[in-house]
Formats: sequence, structure tokens, C-alpha cells
Amino acid sequence: MNAVFAAVFIASAALLMFAAPDKFLTALMGGARSAATAALTLFCIYAVWMGLAAVAEAGGITRGVARRFAPLCKKIFKTRSDEACEAAAMNLACDLLGAGASTPFAVKAVAAWEKEGNFYAQKLLFIINAAGLQLIPATVTALRAGAGSAAAADIFLPSLICSALSLALSAALFISSERIRQKISERKRAAFRWHF
Amino acid sequence: MALLIPAIFMAVFAYALYKKVNVYSCFTGGAGKALSFVMSLLPCLAAVFMMCALFEESGLSAMLIKFLSPAFSFLGIPEELTKLILIKPLSGSGSLAYLTQTIAEYGADSYISRCACVCYGSSETVFYISAVYFAGTKTKGLLLPIGISLLSSLFATVLACALCRVI
Repeated sequence: MNAVFAAVFIASAALLMFAAPDKFLTALMGGARSAATAALTLFCIYAVWMGLAAVAEAGGITRGVARRFAPLCKKIFKTRSDEACEAAAMNLACDLLGAGASTPFAVKAVAAWEKEGNFYAQKLLFIINAAGLQLIPATVTALRAGAGSAAAADIFLPSLICSALSLALSAALFISSERIRQKISERKRAAFRWHF
Repeated sequence: MALLIPAIFMAVFAYALYKKVNVYSCFTGGAGKALSFVMSLLPCLAAVFMMCALFEESGLSAMLIKFLSPAFSFLGIPEELTKLILIKPLSGSGSLAYLTQTIAEYGADSYISRCACVCYGSSETVFYISAVYFAGTKTKGLLLPIGISLLSSLFATVLACALCRVI
């Protein structure tokens, strides 16, 4: 993120210096303003879903869900943290339902894994979320229906196939790359031991 | 499907009342957490949105689109979708704006629009979520997972364009 951010800033500043120097600051202010608007929209979504989640948590519902999910979670993410598993379960449930409030739960899980020093789980959760798997693409369907589509829902199946296959691909690539890295570091350690 | 959401609220609230939970104070507590979460998110959001605005305004995005269009059409991705595909990893609201525009321009049932919808639905805002997820962490080596996610997004896009021709 650091490199991308700096590169875009420097390249855009260089280009705008010659093309339209007065537009530079306007673009930045515009960006900040749309961030403020987006934050307001996000608050509306999160207030609804995190409010509901707090009620569900106090009633013991999320704990029940998490307990069922825990053995699978501990295996997938190689973790021992119940707190992280509960948050990860909520995150994935929100993703699948398209509830739009999955991010706070992911951040909670990532923070719990940070305490555990489990960077593997953090990255894996990111990989799963980045594939954008969704059972019901509600936003897109609503948009198409609003634009007068004859069959707004006919993108369900292709969307599901595409995101499921993309999730399978990225999970496979990530897990195998982690295995390769582990093997390399083991070999290095073995070579080190042999050397002395 | 729309029935599901009110049903979930009803079930959760009723169950919580049965468990003698103070529903009102729990709900406001959760909403309060939402406020502090959004506040902690705001600096990240501001940086990402400024970057997007600069990207667009400086003509970098137009240059990149011109540069990448031939490669995309080689993969079977229509030229009209290049902008959407480039913006999607950066910003959800930005790509949603392009999606709306595309649907309005080409009609909801055209191949281009259907393709755009599937591309939008089957990918995520990779850079944005990596910025948010890892904002408070010391995790190293993020380049690989980000690269893998971008690669599989591209794969999903190519697949989407192929599938929309058939289905």
C-alpha cells in the first residue's frame, strides 16, 4: 500500500504540474470530501449491523454460532483464539449474506491474531475476503432491476461461479506459497545446523 | 430473499428478550462501537479517496486504460470495462459509480452491462480492504497476498466475460 500510494501521488503530481497545476489541490479536497461522505454512509450501515450483532452477542447467539464453527476455524487458520474465530465467523457470514458490515468483524479478528502473532491467519482471512464470495449480489441486482432489466437475477449463477473459482484459485496459490516458504526456511535452518 | 433481513432482526430481538438482555442498551453500545470504528477508518478512507481522485484527475487512469486495453481485449474482456476493472480494487463507491454509468449507457440487459455486473459482483476492493485490515498491525510480506488476490480477480473477470456469452 505504501509503495502504491507514494507512486500514485508522485506520478500524479508530476503530470498535473505540467497539465493543470490548479487541479491538484481541488482533487485532493474532493477526495477527502468523498471520504467524509463515504464514512457517513458506512456509519449508517455499521450502526445497524453492529447494533444487531451486539444484541446477538449479549443473547449468546454469536457464541453458539462460533462454537459450531470453532473446530473448522482452528484448522483453517491454525489458531487457538476463540475471540478471533467468533469474529471471523461473523465476518464470513456477513460476506455471504452481502450484509455490508463484514469489515469491522474482520478487523476484530485481525487484531486478535496480531496478539497471537498469527500472521498466516491474518493474510488468509484477507485472501478469502478479497475474493468477494457472495451468495446474493443484492446491490447489483437492485441496480439492474432499477434500470429496467427483464431478468435482473440472471447474473446470480455466473457471479457465484466466478467468485467461487477465484476464491479457490487464490486460496490454493496462497496456501501453496506459504508451504514453499516454510520448506525453504526449514532447509535454510537445516543447512545452518549442518554448517556448525 | 428480502424477507430474510426483517426475520433475522425479529428472531434475534425476540431471543435476546427471552434471555433477559437489555436490547436497547446493547444496540446503542454496538452502534457506538460502529462510530468509533468509522472514526478510526476515516484517515485510511481519506488517503485512499485522495489517491483515487488524483489517479483520475491527472490522466494516469486514462493512460493506463489506453495501455492495457489491447491486453484486456486479447483476454476477451471488452474495452468498455477496462475502467471499471482498474477502479474496482481501489474503491467500492468509485466502481459502483462506473457500474451505474455503464448500465445506463448500454442498457441493463446488454452483454456489456451483464459482464460489468458479474465482474463487479465477483471481485473485491483489494487495495482498500488491505489498507483497512492491516492498518493497526505489524504484518510483513503483504505484497504476495495482494498480488495473488489481484491475479485471481483478473481470472474472475476473464471467466465472467466468457460465461456471460454462454449463460
